[in-house]
Amino acid sequence: MTTVSVTKPSALTWVRRNLFRTPLDAILTIVFGSLAVYVGIRGLLFVFVNGRWEIISVNLKLLMVGRWPADELIAIAVALVILGLWAGLIAGIIAGRQVRKGTSAIEGMTRLERASDLGRRFGLVIATLLLLLSLTDTSGPWLMVLFTFVGGVVGRLIGGQIGVRSLPSWVSRLGIVVMVVIPVWAYLYMASAVPLADWEGFLFNLSSAAAGVVLSFPLGLLLALGRRSKLKLLKGMSIAYIEAVRGAPLYVLLLLANVSLEFFVPAALAPSKVVRAIVTFTLFTAAYIAEIVRGGLQSVPLGQEEAAKALGLSPTKQMRLIVLPQALRNVIPAQIGQFISLFKDTTLAGLALGILDLLNAAGAITQQSDFRGQGLIIETLVFVGFLFWVGSFTMSRESQRLERKLGVGTR
Amino acid sequence: MSETSQSVFADATQSVGDAIIELDHVDKFFGSFQALKDISLSVGRQEVVVVIGPSGSGKSTMIRCINRLDEHDNGRIVVDGIELSADVKNIQEIRRETGMVFQQFNLFPHLTVLDNITLAPRQVRRMPKKKAEEWGMELLEQVRIPEQAKKYPGQLSGGQQQRVAIARSLAMKPKVMLFDEPTSALDPEMIGEVLDTMKDLAKEGMTMIVVTHEMGFAREVADRVVFMADGQIVEVGTPEHFFTSPEEDRTKLFLSQIL
Repeated sequence: MTTVSVTKPSALTWVRRNLFRTPLDAILTIVFGSLAVYVGIRGLLFVFVNGRWEIISVNLKLLMVGRWPADELIAIAVALVILGLWAGLIAGIIAGRQVRKGTSAIEGMTRLERASDLGRRFGLVIATLLLLLSLTDTSGPWLMVLFTFVGGVVGRLIGGQIGVRSLPSWVSRLGIVVMVVIPVWAYLYMASAVPLADWEGFLFNLSSAAAGVVLSFPLGLLLALGRRSKLKLLKGMSIAYIEAVRGAPLYVLLLLANVSLEFFVPAALAPSKVVRAIVTFTLFTAAYIAEIVRGGLQSVPLGQEEAAKALGLSPTKQMRLIVLPQALRNVIPAQIGQFISLFKDTTLAGLALGILDLLNAAGAITQQSDFRGQGLIIETLVFVGFLFWVGSFTMSRESQRLERKLGVGTR
Repeated sequence: MSETSQSVFADATQSVGDAIIELDHVDKFFGSFQALKDISLSVGRQEVVVVIGPSGSGKSTMIRCINRLDEHDNGRIVVDGIELSADVKNIQEIRRETGMVFQQFNLFPHLTVLDNITLAPRQVRRMPKKKAEEWGMELLEQVRIPEQAKKYPGQLSGGQQQRVAIARSLAMKPKVMLFDEPTSALDPEMIGEVLDTMKDLAKEGMTMIVVTHEMGFAREVADRVVFMADGQIVEVGTPEHFFTSPEEDRTKLFLSQIL
């Protein structure tokens, strides 16, 4: 804070300075201002007055989880509660470690400030969840969300206690393994209740995007390192792969995944459409991640590697401890951007492979006898767009937060 | 080169007592450009050798060849009885015994000062964390900035960063320290604190090769001064001999330009 006091301009002055400085400004302001007001009013009218949202509330389950059997819904609930606990644990451990290292941003905050910080981060997601819950007529989803929330809080409290303690290295290593195993277990647990091939609705979009992110990152990393390798063959193969994949539209690759596998694999052994979609997402995104990581590796000054060499670190440790952490940190925004793309592109799999994902379900329900021919596709598309926007926007905000926290560009 | 200087040269390349670094007819090429031409030099234990010369004369390349940041093309380089070859094991061993301080510090910006220092002992020497941190604090005391241990390099002044870099190199208990223009990137008011740290080190008996433009340091601390130009060693001698009665015209010209 500077101590120089500047008298705050009055609202009228601000308007004159920023909106009506010249005649051209005035015209632009009036034209676009009225356009914005018009669109805004029409939008609000649509959402609150004219929109016929019962098509969403009636079909909410279909949109969220497709034709997932009703008596197996408990598997989703259990997995979600476990994931809530898991996420809480991680958040708690990270926060606890920051307290121990004295780098915590929230330690000095009051409870109210913490709550508002959380509200700013996840308020949109929470509001969306409440909106969805308000559309349901059974208590199941309420209980599921409630228990997931409780799981998250419990995990956060336990994690906070673990985080502030200094643990022997074998315990923390075991802990990392457990933290990796939990979401994998939740995923497999759900797949054991209902085979992956039958995952539909928004569940398909979310879960296959998550799987794609988790699988494409290590593959992309290896490709990036391969592209920098001194081994000619490895380097050539990495470049060939990256350039081949980046040259093809994802939609075409998904269509190919749909039809071409039968040429090579007997139909009985061919993986399901969902698996094909995930594999295609992974292979596609990995090529982009590889290029992003390569950019990051180039951004680390050569002197860093030289200093690591001069200290006698092995080539692996030079990369793992010195170059990679800096490289990955420098490209967090680009990586998250790629993952946001993947999340949205999962809708292409619905079209290319004929999976009843959120978008396809949204189209299908307008053909139900109760709703056919009423132009309700607008309502359903707005709903689909809104859900994807909430997810993408939240990821984007969290990525900015992560950037600030890791101090990209400041040290 | 004249006859007389040849003989002086021959004598002066030989160190007193037992040599820890030996360069024997070393050549180095960057493409078709020859950066080092037939360099022979031997450095004795606990000796401080200061290398001076115009920019582009090969000073940095010479010391970078000693720990294989650059690869020499012909000749032999032997460090503490180990000959540098393509053998990765030998290279690693030599790097563990030679510390290097860079012009641009090259501290690791994502690690705290203390972690910068303890990284190599923990990762290369497998020192337990607690012991490494005690050792790291001891080194920070030695370079007189223990209060900066928990900070990140970006929060320190240039002079402090370079002292951390020196402590980081010392953490591996090297037998030789190589300094590649350690004060060239510093603001003038910070040069003194880094040179003082280096003087302390010399007093404690560290073997040092220092590439620098600090003539005062050379005069005060060096056992021998090496003058390089165009990839060759032109003249070697004690500071007194070097600064008061240089023999080569090239040396005289250089000294007249900078003094």
